Amino acid sequence: MDLGLGRAELDACVTCALCLPHCPTYRVTGFDTHSPRGRIALMRAVQDQGAPLTTEIVESFDTCVQCRGCETACPSGVPFGRLMESTRERMVEAGYKPPVRIRAALRVLDHHKALQAGSSVLSLAQRLHLTPSSLSVPKRLPLRRPAMQKSGDDVHLFTGCVMDAWQRDVHVAVKQVIETCGFGVAPTGPGTACCGALHSHAGLGDAARTQARQVIAALDDDRPVLVDSAGCGAAMKDYGRLVGSSEAVAFSERVFDVHEWAADHIDGLPSVEPLDLRVAVQDPCHLRHVQKSHMSVRTVLTPFVRELVELDDDGLCCGAGGAYSVLQPELASSIRDRKTAAITNVSPDLVVSANPGCSLHLQQAGHEVLHPMELVARALRGVQAD
Amino acid sequence: MGLIRSPESNPALVEFASEVGRSGPVVVQGGATHWSVGGDVDPSARVIGAPVGIVEIRADEMTVEVGAGTLVSDLHTALRPTGQRTALPEVEGSTVGGAIAVGRSGIERLGRGQTRDAVLQIHYVSADGDLVTAGGPTVKNVSGFDVVRLFVGSLGTLGCMADVILRTQPIPDMEVWSHLDNTPPEQVFDRCATASSILWNGESVWILTAGYVPDVEADLDALRQLGPLTPDQPPELPPNRWSRRPAESLTTTKTDFGSFVVEVGVGLVHTDRPVAPVSVSAEVAALRRRMKAAFDPTGRLNPGRSAGEV
Amino acid sequence: MTVSRAPSGHHGAVARRKFRKTNTDRCVADLVAAIGADRVRADGASRLLASTDASIFVGGHAGPVCFPESTAQVQACVRVAAAHRRPVVARGAGSGLTGGAAPLGSAVVVSTTRMNQILEVDVDNRVAWVEPGVINLDLSNHLEDLGLHFAPDPSSQQVCTIGGNVANNSGGPHCLAYGVTSAHVLAIEVVLSDGEVVMLGGLDAEPGGYDLRGAFVGSEGMLGIATRVAVRLTRNPRSIRTLLLSFGDVESAAETVGAVIASGLVPAAIEMMDKRCVAAVEDFVHAGYPRDAEAVLLVEVDGLPGGVELQAQRVEEIANRFGADVRVASDPEERALWWKGRKSAFGAIARIKPDYYLHDTVVPRSKLVEVLRSIYEIIDRHGLLVLNVFHAGDGNLHPIIAYDSREPGVSEKVREAGREIIEVSLAAGGVLSGEHGIGVEKRDFMPLMFSDSDLDHQARLRAAFDELCVMNPGKVLPSPHSCSDIASLNDAGEDLWG
Repeated sequence: MDLGLGRAELDACVTCALCLPHCPTYRVTGFDTHSPRGRIALMRAVQDQGAPLTTEIVESFDTCVQCRGCETACPSGVPFGRLMESTRERMVEAGYKPPVRIRAALRVLDHHKALQAGSSVLSLAQRLHLTPSSLSVPKRLPLRRPAMQKSGDDVHLFTGCVMDAWQRDVHVAVKQVIETCGFGVAPTGPGTACCGALHSHAGLGDAARTQARQVIAALDDDRPVLVDSAGCGAAMKDYGRLVGSSEAVAFSERVFDVHEWAADHIDGLPSVEPLDLRVAVQDPCHLRHVQKSHMSVRTVLTPFVRELVELDDDGLCCGAGGAYSVLQPELASSIRDRKTAAITNVSPDLVVSANPGCSLHLQQAGHEVLHPMELVARALRGVQAD
Repeated sequence: MGLIRSPESNPALVEFASEVGRSGPVVVQGGATHWSVGGDVDPSARVIGAPVGIVEIRADEMTVEVGAGTLVSDLHTALRPTGQRTALPEVEGSTVGGAIAVGRSGIERLGRGQTRDAVLQIHYVSADGDLVTAGGPTVKNVSGFDVVRLFVGSLGTLGCMADVILRTQPIPDMEVWSHLDNTPPEQVFDRCATASSILWNGESVWILTAGYVPDVEADLDALRQLGPLTPDQPPELPPNRWSRRPAESLTTTKTDFGSFVVEVGVGLVHTDRPVAPVSVSAEVAALRRRMKAAFDPTGRLNPGRSAGEV
Repeated sequence: MTVSRAPSGHHGAVARRKFRKTNTDRCVADLVAAIGADRVRADGASRLLASTDASIFVGGHAGPVCFPESTAQVQACVRVAAAHRRPVVARGAGSGLTGGAAPLGSAVVVSTTRMNQILEVDVDNRVAWVEPGVINLDLSNHLEDLGLHFAPDPSSQQVCTIGGNVANNSGGPHCLAYGVTSAHVLAIEVVLSDGEVVMLGGLDAEPGGYDLRGAFVGSEGMLGIATRVAVRLTRNPRSIRTLLLSFGDVESAAETVGAVIASGLVPAAIEMMDKRCVAAVEDFVHAGYPRDAEAVLLVEVDGLPGGVELQAQRVEEIANRFGADVRVASDPEERALWWKGRKSAFGAIARIKPDYYLHDTVVPRSKLVEVLRSIYEIIDRHGLLVLNVFHAGDGNLHPIIAYDSREPGVSEKVREAGREIIEVSLAAGGVLSGEHGIGVEKRDFMPLMFSDSDLDHQARLRAAFDELCVMNPGKVLPSPHSCSDIASLNDAGEDLWG
């Protein structure tokens, strides 16, 4: 079966195995089928050697978190993320569909108002203790979301879908920090589509491209597009490849993770009393391994907290992976156990993560997790504790 | 065919092989400095000697090829002009082959390393009378099974060593034996990174510091912080060896064990009390017997002596 | 576990169990009964992936793959395999370079990836007990706060396991000064081919009897399966200096190595990379290696501050004599980057060609110049491409022939060139393998180095451990020195995809 994988991209893997320890699913299962090298070998078997898509091969592909930690580890530069996205897209075309509830959930993401309304219903249900604990939503969804007013036209702040519904506080904090730097912020707001990252991961390439085109069309100017969700930012920086138009390429060049942007404008922030906190930095994979701008989180946060501590797990994924924690709950939880151990090791006051999915996933394991910008905003407000 | 120089091209080895022969009990005697280790040789065994002499010193390679019958002291004297030596212990009258067959390391083990890691290649005569090569001539080699390590400490029960290639090491720029009274040996071990040997008799500590001059001098200064440091030679060692773990060996006391000297950091206790034989599991004992049977099915090599296989 | 839903009416896409109950089915059933269903994977995908390692060998054929979590479960796997007359092959990370872990004869594969616990760190005795699936670098990272480490540091140390290190007697750059794995393993708990458990070696100063521990280390999984390993812990050096020497030609670099060794210095490591290799790794790590140099040497000296200073000076003097440009790592980050570049070299080869084949012969350091010259000559004659990256300090070459196996006739040329490289190395007084082992790829070269008697004696050592040749058969010893070939018993007719 043709998985649409390029010769050169597949050949880039020389099976050296250096990716294995950087793969969260290999780390927790010890299965070669759950490793990047193994998955590539199975892609080859399916595409080149006539192997059927057995249950186990499908499982091998499905269990990939798409964290792309293997890409950072790969000396040969195998574009693993692209290989996996293409594989999943062809599988969907061949009829291997993601589970119904996932497809339904992804459709909700396309409809911002429905998501907002649904989230409000969920929030109410939480307060009435009607939600099952297994549901991958924040422990306490906001019942009311503060409105986001435009403060200028210097930069766009991409507000997205789930995050806007569930974690608007983060957007508010980010907006405050950018404004303090002296820039006017235009939140993209409910009119803008979802970035399409989750569709892309699920192999729904067409849906992802549709979302991408809508986002590009809605932000049709030359201002920087700041993104405070690492997963969204990574996807939007990849629009150029995904959509393939020169317009998309130009758009992707305007996309910045908010920390990346803030690190370049940090001189605009006043010197304030740092928060008296020992803060552990959890690097979202799509910031560290894909955007490779995780160091800017440290640059931005360092002046505002007493102590930043690193986790000793070499940037291994936390297991959130967008919809992964819903699709593969057991694996996601085993992977998270390793992250929890790494966090416990450094006994921080709290954890920061620049991706909403990671935050939710870690919060469900009992960690106090905030977005880095929330801490910066708090320090700027001169508030030691919220 | 083999690209390695065959041992058959060396007349001394061929002659030694014919002395070993193909049948009848035989024993290779070196300096007989450890002749009672592993039991007494069956008196019916023919006593022969291994080839003597240095075959080649490869100073720029840090190796030396030497007949197994050569005295360790002669080897080290010959190596001295190159500024090198080997890890083999220098016991008066002992031969290279004997040192390897017994397999013990010297008291400078912390610095010089172990005898078992010093041997790179062995030419030996098998129980069948064939000349066999184990290992290889280079300082690093994992080609095939490690017959060399099996021979170290095998007391000549698996084959008759003819000649060997040893790894050499540079003689340190500076080596000093000193002595400290009433000092806890752990403190010396922790502070003294240049220690090539630390000996402790329950009261005093003897230290051999070895290395580059500034490092040794810095360590001697550090040792002076622990007490009055005097130059001294190492103490006489009591005759029996008791193999313990490093931390365990430091719990040795005079009331329980009489006069003793501990090799600190190594765990070996030299004592004048008899040492009980170590018991091994039935499975390990069986494995040792199978090994002996595989190399010497008729039991003709060094009969009467045993590296624990009988 | 949630998986994608298969399309309806998509016949044959999902593997179906054969109706007829095969030998494999019975063996799998017994393995499942012995160690649990979630620890046995007998599907085609798992078997396909367990059939290879990081080498180019493709003739492996795995049977059921087991993931035991205890010595008792390893014993159980070995006993079930014996009852079904199947060979047993232990597998760690599968990062070996000679096909050593590639099973022959539908062997029961015993993966150690779930035996990955550091059981005990005994600082007083400077020893750690670990399970075989512990990753080499994980162990050293775990020990960092204690100021200790496990000295063998193969370039694959971020993935390779301690069990694999024991099987291959692994080295690494720093074994120049510290010695290979054998010098750092004190005791090993081993499951033998009959399922018995033995403890080889000991933690005491002078374990008696034959050094069966020494015989086991480097035996490539053919004497038994290590289930617990006691490793010696080494103090971290107080001072380290790393020098990057760049040369205008390869020969000056090689001569520098010989001169450093001959001067009586024992640096912690001396690594060499030629120009092509530098280009490949520089594209990955951006370590600041000089791309215009024909060869670079990465030299590290460590120990106490005074000696480090002296050694660094002497190395620099020697390097200057051979016209080197010398740089010293300015901080631990720069040092780490230089090492990352060196240790990624094999993987980075794909930036040049999709396949690589390498040997790891060792030659006398004094012969490095002439052997390297011969290697380049051999490669040119065959119209191939070679990258040299190797442990120059101990003469351990790693000529990597980069090629594209789809070009007609190229694979044959690669093998022929490989053979010539071995011949040149042995003729110079070298050996077949310095650290990767023999496995299946170099098995048939063994007669170039050893006589029939030599090989016969190696076979005796093996037979004492494993009379029936159940453990990893078909490796290291060429026939007829390998005993009764159990591998042939189950080889036929087991299609991966049912």
